[in-house]
Amino acid sequence: MDQNEHTILFDAERCIGCVACSVACPTRAIRVRHSLARLKPELCIDCGACVEACAYEAARARTSSPSDLQRFRYRVAIPSLTLYAQFGRDVHPAQVLDALTRLGFESAYDLSWMSETLGQATDAWLTESRGPWPKISVTCPAIVRLIQIRYPELLPNLIPLESGRELAAKMLRRRLTAEHGLAPEDIGIFFVTPCTAIMNSILAPVGLDRSHFDGAFALNELYGPLLKAIKQGGPGDPDARISARGVMWALAGGMTAGMRNANTMTVHGMRDVQFVFDRIEAGKFQSVDFIEAWSCPDGCVSGGLTMEGRYAAQRAIQHLVKRLGEQDHPVKEEKVRAMLREHFFDLEEEIRARESRSAARDLREAIAWKKERAALLARLPRKDCAACGAPDCATLADDILRGEASLDDCVFLRIARLEGRGESEERKR
Amino acid sequence: MSEELPRAGAEAPGEILYSERWTIRGGDFDHGGEVAAAVKSTLRQFAVAPEVIRRLSIANFEAEMNVIMYAEEAVLELQVLPDRARVTLADRGQGIPDIGLAMQEGWSTATPEMRQRGFGAGLGLPNIRKNCDEFAIESTVGVGTTLRYGVRFPL
Repeated sequence: MDQNEHTILFDAERCIGCVACSVACPTRAIRVRHSLARLKPELCIDCGACVEACAYEAARARTSSPSDLQRFRYRVAIPSLTLYAQFGRDVHPAQVLDALTRLGFESAYDLSWMSETLGQATDAWLTESRGPWPKISVTCPAIVRLIQIRYPELLPNLIPLESGRELAAKMLRRRLTAEHGLAPEDIGIFFVTPCTAIMNSILAPVGLDRSHFDGAFALNELYGPLLKAIKQGGPGDPDARISARGVMWALAGGMTAGMRNANTMTVHGMRDVQFVFDRIEAGKFQSVDFIEAWSCPDGCVSGGLTMEGRYAAQRAIQHLVKRLGEQDHPVKEEKVRAMLREHFFDLEEEIRARESRSAARDLREAIAWKKERAALLARLPRKDCAACGAPDCATLADDILRGEASLDDCVFLRIARLEGRGESEERKR
Repeated sequence: MSEELPRAGAEAPGEILYSERWTIRGGDFDHGGEVAAAVKSTLRQFAVAPEVIRRLSIANFEAEMNVIMYAEEAVLELQVLPDRARVTLADRGQGIPDIGLAMQEGWSTATPEMRQRGFGAGLGLPNIRKNCDEFAIESTVGVGTTLRYGVRFPL
């Protein structure tokens, strides 16, 4: 799959050319040119920071549409666990799953059991693995992509076990094929996603040749119809059993909360994640076994495509976990070990570094570029105003070096030139 | 007092293709690790092998935290040569009375406060030496310490 394919789209009609998205982007992947934001595909990790930052709804997520359902004879939804946190404290997951079956899906499946199973698999895998430490979860796709472009040295730290959602879809397709006598291609499995990052992991997966999902719907787009269907519907399947441990995965800290290994860390929010990754690269945290890392500030409940506020959603999950109570049917350890032996959880492909920008031919050329970039930066005002369309002066210098921009793009330099002042005078002011 | 630990041609002369300096302030725990991160970012722009970056970053982080914990101020200079990256870190501070002792794993003069922050395990200097191809240390009590270490590029 093309790693330069992305979920984020900019709507030329709505974009006013402000620079909010460009400044918010953690990988400096957006430039505003001629009053339109443009994505540099080689730098984007689909985290959705731009979608959150945009006040004009110009940065949007490319998700599935109802017409995509028509391609399949049998349609199934697997919602993100975050969906259970969207309708307050009194709506049970069984009602949510039931409501989905009235929105064009033949059935809807719960993800919590696979999450619990994966937690146990991770525990077992950790006891048998070697360094480098700490190991890092691949569940949040924005984190995986961040490592691919910014922290390639940490690629060996990634746990080579597939995410719970992909595993659930894989298992479900096998089951439906066997139980309903359907051809695998007749089954359409759709995720209900809380974020652009997961959407993109389905569109252009990493560690996997092709996603086990056939598409994904944005949670916030299904919210209205779902709320209506929940209100009209009944109590749902009374026998539906939900894993309390699995449901916790909707929150940052939820993965490790259900694990036996207590030598773990939870890191959430892009800034904190980079702080910690910088240190891991410097050899710190080697005594930690496992790091659960999320690009969103509270984990998936704070995803950019959710409806319920992140604090209310956290409370809803915590309430649900209490309500589900002690689990009388935990996932059996022998079963998980057998699945591990059968390589059920394994990533299909190695996760490789993503070459983010064209590299110099050799050390000497790279050093020449760096000096040139420093000289360019010295001529720029370093106000990081972003009016040129690049998020800061250093990025503009880099773009000029690559022939993608010019010093004239800087408004301060342009004003100085129009007023007949030299750059040096401008710099003193 | 000084100790030279010759590990593969410590004093190989060579053309300096690039150099850059950073200042580290003692006691500045809030910014601890930033210089090591900046050096890493520079080396990455030079497409230096990840393994070289990793080893030098470990050394830089340890050295930077040593300055923050024990010295007043230091200048870290990165030099890039055709065959290696080298760091010279000269600090103004209390100096090290017994370098032999400081080079032993587990030996530390860290205060309880530093240990609380997760430092002071007594692995700093040994860890730098372990990760580098060249290493030298020179220290004068009451004046300061100069460290020099480097990692060779793979052929």
